Amino acid sequence: MAKQIINNIKLGIFVIAGLIILVTSLYMIGRNQSYFGNNITVRARFTNVMGLTKGNNVRFSGIQAGNVKSVHIVNDSVIEVAMLVEREFQPYIHKNAIVSIGNEGLMGNKVINISTNPIPAPAVENDDLLPVKKEVGTNEMLETLSTTNDNVAVISQDLKQTIKRLNNSAALWNLLNDTSISYNLKISLLNIRSAAVKVNQVATGLNTIVVDAHNGKGTVGTLLADTAVATDLKQAVNHINGASAEADAVIARLDSLIGGIQKDVNNGSGTVYTLLKDTATTNKLTNSLDNIEKGTAAFNEDMEALKHNFLTRRYFRKQEKAKKEAGK
Amino acid sequence: MSQSTKLKSFFVETGAISKFTGWFFHEFLRPRFEAREFLRQCYIVGYKSLPLVGLTGFIMGLVLTMQLRPTLVNYGVEARLPDMVSLSLIREIGPVITALIFAGKIGSSIGAELGSMRVTEQIDAMEVSGTNPYKYLVVTRVWATTLMLPILTILSDTIGLYGGYLGINIRGVMSMDLYVNEVLHTVGFSDLLPATIKTFFFGFAVGLVGCYKGYNSKKGTEGVGLSANSAVVLSSILIFIIDLVVVQITDLLGFN
Repeated sequence: MAKQIINNIKLGIFVIAGLIILVTSLYMIGRNQSYFGNNITVRARFTNVMGLTKGNNVRFSGIQAGNVKSVHIVNDSVIEVAMLVEREFQPYIHKNAIVSIGNEGLMGNKVINISTNPIPAPAVENDDLLPVKKEVGTNEMLETLSTTNDNVAVISQDLKQTIKRLNNSAALWNLLNDTSISYNLKISLLNIRSAAVKVNQVATGLNTIVVDAHNGKGTVGTLLADTAVATDLKQAVNHINGASAEADAVIARLDSLIGGIQKDVNNGSGTVYTLLKDTATTNKLTNSLDNIEKGTAAFNEDMEALKHNFLTRRYFRKQEKAKKEAGK
Repeated sequence: MSQSTKLKSFFVETGAISKFTGWFFHEFLRPRFEAREFLRQCYIVGYKSLPLVGLTGFIMGLVLTMQLRPTLVNYGVEARLPDMVSLSLIREIGPVITALIFAGKIGSSIGAELGSMRVTEQIDAMEVSGTNPYKYLVVTRVWATTLMLPILTILSDTIGLYGGYLGINIRGVMSMDLYVNEVLHTVGFSDLLPATIKTFFFGFAVGLVGCYKGYNSKKGTEGVGLSANSAVVLSSILIFIIDLVVVQITDLLGFN
């Protein structure tokens, strides 16, 4: 009898263990598929659901948030997907959240991704319709890939021809086989390197100058930083402006004077006309100049005679002596 | 034996099993209910079978994981190993293997036990003493197998999934939390419920065939061995046939 009771206890434990596992598994699966949770329904409309079916996962920013409740056709180009989303996600999913259809891995099931929109909007409510984003499907990717392949084929063909031409080019091979080119190139590179060093030094110098100028050091710095210089410059410019105004007035006067002279010349009157145009005056002037020349020559002879005169000779010798001492 | 005789005996056997089944449904609703014997049978059929079924399930989970792993690694989807193991175990391998092991252990033992009771005229003695042997021997056993096999299958699946977890961790690394999450993420009601429901039918078939073969045993001790043997063979075939039918129904109902 006691043994039978023990056997019954064992049997009870066995049955209860099995039932607990069954019920727990059913509950966990149900919870995972949002059958028991506190959920809201949100909708999205697509033109192509790409094989999405009831029960596929819904993820919000990558977190499992629910699953697809139903997929049904609204009209010939619109398919509406209703999603069960756990209520705890409601405050984080806004009315402008974007819904897209993706894949779980490369070959996995379809999945709905709800992603946040940076533009502020109120939280989603039950039965709201969310905006959708079209994902690039495998077919589109393959079409693009096909075009890329065609392009690659054309490019490879061109490349093949180019390489063939390069292989047949004697000039190129001569160039490649010429060892002196590499030597020259090396030298050139060394020169470039030293030039670069010099350029660097120059740049450093310039930098120092600029820094000095910025700090008000040196002539440029003084020019740029010293306000007194600026004032002086301003004054100088003002003076130049005044001088140029004066010059303008002088030029105007000269202009009127020349105009008057020109007028006199044209009228055959005035001193300038007499000097330029009157031949009698010219002859007189020529005679006068001749007479002055002759007078000067005679004066020179007189002076030479004075030098040799015993009365004045002594004075001239003193003058020469003094000139020599000054020259030493 | 000619073909026509074989065909005739097949139909005779089918008719007799159907009649035996009808008799069960006729008897199990009527008092008196043999509760004590039913519990004893549950203990023998269910609890005593757990070590064997558990060991089989554990090995199946472990071996299945290790066999699937290289292929999945080749495809670069090693992370889907828990999905494949859990689906295979829960949907098909767990229920069928457990039922076959159950048929081997319990079907044969019921066939042999009732067969020996028949050939030693104990069943006749029960009838004479006023006890309904069908109710006492058949109804309790069939009920026990029908109700215990689903529990055994659930426990076997659980142990098998643990074996799968160990199998994954022999070559790779996966935490228990991740494994459980992956399994629960993959397995749905449409996987677990049809698989569990069909085990009731498996259990019923094993119990009923075992009881039929034993209850109708003939030819002395030779007949006992024959009953045990044919009980295992027939119940195993019936398990596969029921599995085929259930898969078709599940598919029609859109659970696949």
